[in-house]
Amino acid sequence: MKLFEIEYISLIAGFILLIVGLWGIISQRNIIKMIISFSILDTSVHLLLVAVGYIRNRTAPIIDSSVNKLNAANEITDPLPQALVLTAIVIGVGITALLLTYALKLFRQNSSLEINQYKSLKW
Amino acid sequence: MSLFTRILFVLLGLFITLNWGLIMSGIIRKIIARLSMRRGIKVVQPYINLIKNFSIRSQLTHGVMFYLGPVFRLSGGVGVFLFMPMIYGSIYWTNFSFTGDLILISYFLFFGMLGMALGAGEGGHPYSAIGIGRGLAQFTAIEVPMTLAIISIAIQYNSLSITEIVAAQQGGIMNWTMVTNPFATIAAMLAFLGMMGHSPFNVVMAPQENPIGPPTEYHGTFLGVLQTNRAILHVVEAVLFMNLFFGGATNWGILILKTFLIYFYTVFVGMVFPRFRVDQSIPWFFKIPLVFGILAIVLLII
Amino acid sequence: MVNPIYIVAVLLGTAFLLGLFRKKGTGIIALVALAFPVFVSASWFFHFLSGNTEVLNFFTAGAKPPFSINLQLGIEEALFTMVINVLGFLGYTYLYRDFKEQGIKSTVLFLILIMGLNVLIMSRDIFNLFVFLEIVSIAIAGLIYLKRGADTAIAGFKYLIALGVISTFLLIGIAFFYLFSGTLNIDDFLNSNLPAVKGMSMAVFLILMAILLELKPFPANGWALDVYQAAHPGISAMISSGTATASIFLLYKLLPLSSIDWLPYISIIGAITFIGSNLLGIAQKDSNRLLGYSSVGQIGLMLIIIGMAPQLGEHFNLIFLTVFISHFLAKAGLFWISGIIKKDNIRQWSVLRKNKLLLFMFGFFLLTLLGFPPFPSFYGKWQLIMELAHGSQFIWLALILAGSFFEGMYLIRWFGFAMKEKDESEEKLTIHWEKMIPPVIFTVFVMGASYFANNSSDYGHTLNLIPIYFVIALFLLDFLPAFVKNSLVIASMIIYSILLYPDISDDTLRLVFAGIFMIGGVLTLFAGYSVKGKREGFFPFVVMMYAGLIGLIEAENLFQFFFAWEIMTLGSYFLILRGKKSIKHAFNYMLFSLGGAYLIFIGFALSYFGQDSLDLSIISATTLPGWTYTLLAIGFLTKTAAIGLHIWLPGAHAEAESDVSPMVSGILLKAGAFGLILLFLLMGAEQSEQHSLLYILGWLGAITAVGGNLLAVFQEDAKRLLAYSSVGNLGYILFALAFMTNVGWLTAITYSINHFLFKTLLFLAIGGVVMRVKTHNMYEMGGLIKKMPWSFIAVLIGIITLAGIPPLAGYGGKWLFYNAVLTKGWYFQGALIFFSGTIAFLYAFKLIYSVFLGQPKDKFRNVKEAPIWYLIPQFILMIGIMVFSARPDLILKPIGTMLSQSNYFPTDPLNWEDVTATTNLGYWSGYKIMIVIGVMFVVLLGWLMIMSRKAQKIKQFNIVYAGERPFTPGTTHFSHNMFSNYYKAIGFLSWPVATGFWNGVNLFTHNVADNIRRIYSGNGQTYIVHIMIYTIVIYLLMF
Repeated sequence: MKLFEIEYISLIAGFILLIVGLWGIISQRNIIKMIISFSILDTSVHLLLVAVGYIRNRTAPIIDSSVNKLNAANEITDPLPQALVLTAIVIGVGITALLLTYALKLFRQNSSLEINQYKSLKW
Repeated sequence: MSLFTRILFVLLGLFITLNWGLIMSGIIRKIIARLSMRRGIKVVQPYINLIKNFSIRSQLTHGVMFYLGPVFRLSGGVGVFLFMPMIYGSIYWTNFSFTGDLILISYFLFFGMLGMALGAGEGGHPYSAIGIGRGLAQFTAIEVPMTLAIISIAIQYNSLSITEIVAAQQGGIMNWTMVTNPFATIAAMLAFLGMMGHSPFNVVMAPQENPIGPPTEYHGTFLGVLQTNRAILHVVEAVLFMNLFFGGATNWGILILKTFLIYFYTVFVGMVFPRFRVDQSIPWFFKIPLVFGILAIVLLII
Repeated sequence: MVNPIYIVAVLLGTAFLLGLFRKKGTGIIALVALAFPVFVSASWFFHFLSGNTEVLNFFTAGAKPPFSINLQLGIEEALFTMVINVLGFLGYTYLYRDFKEQGIKSTVLFLILIMGLNVLIMSRDIFNLFVFLEIVSIAIAGLIYLKRGADTAIAGFKYLIALGVISTFLLIGIAFFYLFSGTLNIDDFLNSNLPAVKGMSMAVFLILMAILLELKPFPANGWALDVYQAAHPGISAMISSGTATASIFLLYKLLPLSSIDWLPYISIIGAITFIGSNLLGIAQKDSNRLLGYSSVGQIGLMLIIIGMAPQLGEHFNLIFLTVFISHFLAKAGLFWISGIIKKDNIRQWSVLRKNKLLLFMFGFFLLTLLGFPPFPSFYGKWQLIMELAHGSQFIWLALILAGSFFEGMYLIRWFGFAMKEKDESEEKLTIHWEKMIPPVIFTVFVMGASYFANNSSDYGHTLNLIPIYFVIALFLLDFLPAFVKNSLVIASMIIYSILLYPDISDDTLRLVFAGIFMIGGVLTLFAGYSVKGKREGFFPFVVMMYAGLIGLIEAENLFQFFFAWEIMTLGSYFLILRGKKSIKHAFNYMLFSLGGAYLIFIGFALSYFGQDSLDLSIISATTLPGWTYTLLAIGFLTKTAAIGLHIWLPGAHAEAESDVSPMVSGILLKAGAFGLILLFLLMGAEQSEQHSLLYILGWLGAITAVGGNLLAVFQEDAKRLLAYSSVGNLGYILFALAFMTNVGWLTAITYSINHFLFKTLLFLAIGGVVMRVKTHNMYEMGGLIKKMPWSFIAVLIGIITLAGIPPLAGYGGKWLFYNAVLTKGWYFQGALIFFSGTIAFLYAFKLIYSVFLGQPKDKFRNVKEAPIWYLIPQFILMIGIMVFSARPDLILKPIGTMLSQSNYFPTDPLNWEDVTATTNLGYWSGYKIMIVIGVMFVVLLGWLMIMSRKAQKIKQFNIVYAGERPFTPGTTHFSHNMFSNYYKAIGFLSWPVATGFWNGVNLFTHNVADNIRRIYSGNGQTYIVHIMIYTIVIYLLMF
């Protein structure tokens, strides 16, 4: 059954995670939980990227013993999305780290991690 | 006619007008007194007053403008006379009416008022200023029916020249504006009541609570000048209405008769009606006289 | 030429290496590193500018795509990287001290930020763009925390979360873009002609939507506004001018990806943003957040322009670049200034007055944003509106001007606070010199940009810029003493008039108004000699106003006219603002002027519809006469203060300085009258379809006359009385113009001249009095005739003219009025006019009596006559009145001839027999009347002098007072509430209906703005919801 092929599973899982992440960001009051939701959101996109680049019955784009060097282009999946995912992961880590830093700053100053207690900037 | 002759006739006309004004006011006051069951003054009393005032020795002045006030006032009266054609059909009694028309006269009436207001103002007496304030306020309302009437007759005769307006009314009473344009006449004659300042519109002078109003501080020669002016002005204003509405005059006799009747009419009304306050008189002018003024124009343009 | 890849290399390398240096010298190294990209991109820009068109394509890692990243540098990229690099260099200079305190981390982030922005502009690889967008976001998020505190932290958090969600959209878009196209390179994609698939357009939708969201569209922009408010202003400047520039270029670059037409949607998004954001700005008090609103609004305008690109055609570049550069320079400059003075509330910006240069730059940048001439965006907006009209995009045109109006509302109010609000701060303003350099340089750049905008504009070369240069020169000479500058200005105005004379001597109508403007200008400037000291910030604006006025006379096309109109408005606004209590009034004046100017603008644009030239004559050939003429008429009526639009006038004229009041009342108001004359001339006398408009204007004029005069009667403030009297007199002029007959126009001209003569005279005289007694309240004065006889004479002559009493010139106006009314047949309106004329007596008397007559007050026993410099122009004006009274034919005859001969109004002219004017109704001889009255007056005066030669002068209180001798002048002077009985009778006509109406409008706008802005709840999660809803709504709209 086609639906249970790996790329569709990862695609669907990606979209489910996407919604979970978005929902978490807008529903969780705790800042740490929001950051976790953001990480889920991030991961979901990575999953989607990989799913998009996957070509069935091919191996990872790493030139080692399992790949015939001469015929590599026909044996490995599209390497580009995988490279992109690596970059995206790095960026995601950076942003998560920065978010956590801000969470730390906020907690140190006001001893609270509830997002709706920080509403002094508005209108 | 040379300028010199013209000036001579003007001076003669002025003399006649002044005397008729003094006599008329004497007669009128006599009539008022008799109506009030009093014996009243002599008819020549205005002459006596004038002579007395001009010969009073003590003369006090509050300053330059106070001094100039009566000059302005008399200039206003004499000026209106100068610009008014007195007798229709006579080249001798048209004065300097060639310099301006009806509008000139209706605006030159303010010249004296203004000077008087300023002179009295410098007198520093609050009653003067109160009187002037009332007078001006009331005047704005009087002017509305008057303006409408003037516009109406200007439309009717298609002219602003008094001489031409009089000319158009010649040939019998049926040609008078009074008959041909009754609404304008009514509006103007109601306005005239206000202009002459008799009861019910005499709150400016208000003898009781505001002793004699603007001229409060004037005395002696100054008061004499003002009285001279009043005599001239009353006649000339009556002449204006005579010219506009009652066919003008072709000789001095008719002029004297008509001006007397016109003037007497205001006195007569004043005897019958009590005084208005300013905030009563203004709305009054905005009612009936205004309606007649509007009717006078509407009937002409439809 | 240096390969631009080194920009990235140098910035990145320096950022890494800085860690080795630790403290010492990092700032200087970073500055050098930031100077390098300026040099590279500038050299490339000038390389392209000098005629080279070959676009540079270069690659990273020495390989071709897809194995490397493709960067591109054409003239556009060169320009945008250049402005960003300049901003980076100056922005770093500005933050130098702060960075030094923070250590090198911030410096590293700053370098990365600039590098990221450079790559964003040059890169042609979509994924690469994503990466650098993230880098920029991270750098910004780090820099936000330059200013410590919980507010900054939460703002940074909201910013990061929001951008995280947005970049998720972007990345998903990129993923599917790659899935469907197989490439990440923009050029490859554009060359491949792939068939359009549904999924593809979805991918592109996500990509473009993400970029759009980066541009902070209203209302999905709460996260950005919080950052503007909380961050260090130096960083806000970088976000507002730097990242926004990169993002908008990104959008421009990526738009071709889409197979469906995004442009209309971009415009709609832009319009919503422009109007919404500026509307909300009205209710905003925090200066940095306000700048944020304004910033977002300007981006909205740019989006509109991008969306309109096909309609704008060849003009797109000029329009977009001028609007962009204005926003770029001004917004950065304003944020920088905000960082120097460190005040949050816009009311506290009055602290700016402690430093003249800062104040100047603040005003300069605000005007740049507002698009006043000669600033760059004026040219852009003009071209934009004209092109929109040409393409019959009338709704867009109205939307853009509405948004601009809202923007004007808060910017002008803000400027008023800076100029006039009480400065309560005690401490000295500490200014670090390196923080002053960037805004100063940007000020210079604005001037340069103005110059280029003027040169590249189609009609810029038709402008006469000499007066503008003179204004700039006067700013530079502001250190000179006042009398030197005054002489300089007077001399220049005289010389200019002499040079101008031959050009307009054959057009009497223009000559009359030029005379009013220039002669009036010189006379009113004479009064300025009485001011000691430097009088800083006065003369440039005087010249600006008069330059505008004379520009109206000289204008041959619509552009010149509008340019002059705006210059005049601006100059007069600054003059009015100088008054002590004029903050509110100057604001009202500017709002009405701005509104009026926009209506004129639309009117011009509408007449341009379907035409090719901008000549003034196209107004007569307009294809939309109803709208064009109505809008133009209302526009000019705001300047003449017709009733309903008059509420700005009394305060503005009354609270202005003593010698400014005659300028703005006697002279400036004639600009509106001149505008109307021009409009009516161009409308043509014969077009019957304009009858209803003229009929309405006639009634409006009559009602204005009554209303203005009636309101004047009830004033206690002498200058306010004169100001309301101006309202009434302009009503006469409007009424007379609306006749569209020969005599009617002569009446209007006579009234214009008269009003100029007597109102300038009265305002000068009263201004001189006010200078001495230090109060405007008439009831506090009294009896000043003995102290100030010359001023008294001036006021006397003035009110005689005003009241229209023969023999002075005012009577001529009344006489002409009667003739005109009777000829035209507008009897009832005419009656209203004459009624208002008698009302004028009331206030004329009150003015002269309360001030000069009656009882002198104790505290003014020792006042002196007004300064001689006030009296000289008054006497010249009095001579003018006398001449015009005696010989009105000198002016009226040529104008009458012109009107009858030039096909305007050939019928029913005024005939002249020697010095006597006649119509078929009546006659008037000013000369003879003058002689008759003069002779009579002198004779009677002589007679009285002989009769009462012994008159004695008596003391103040020697009056008949019912047996009592008064001794307090205050209770004996009958002045306060003088016409209470009149008020009882018809005072209800003077109830402030118009003020109430406009206050209501104002309150309503404020409330709307205040309620809408509550969507920015301050909760970071709400902002995410906004972003998602916004995306979904746009999706539903598009698919």
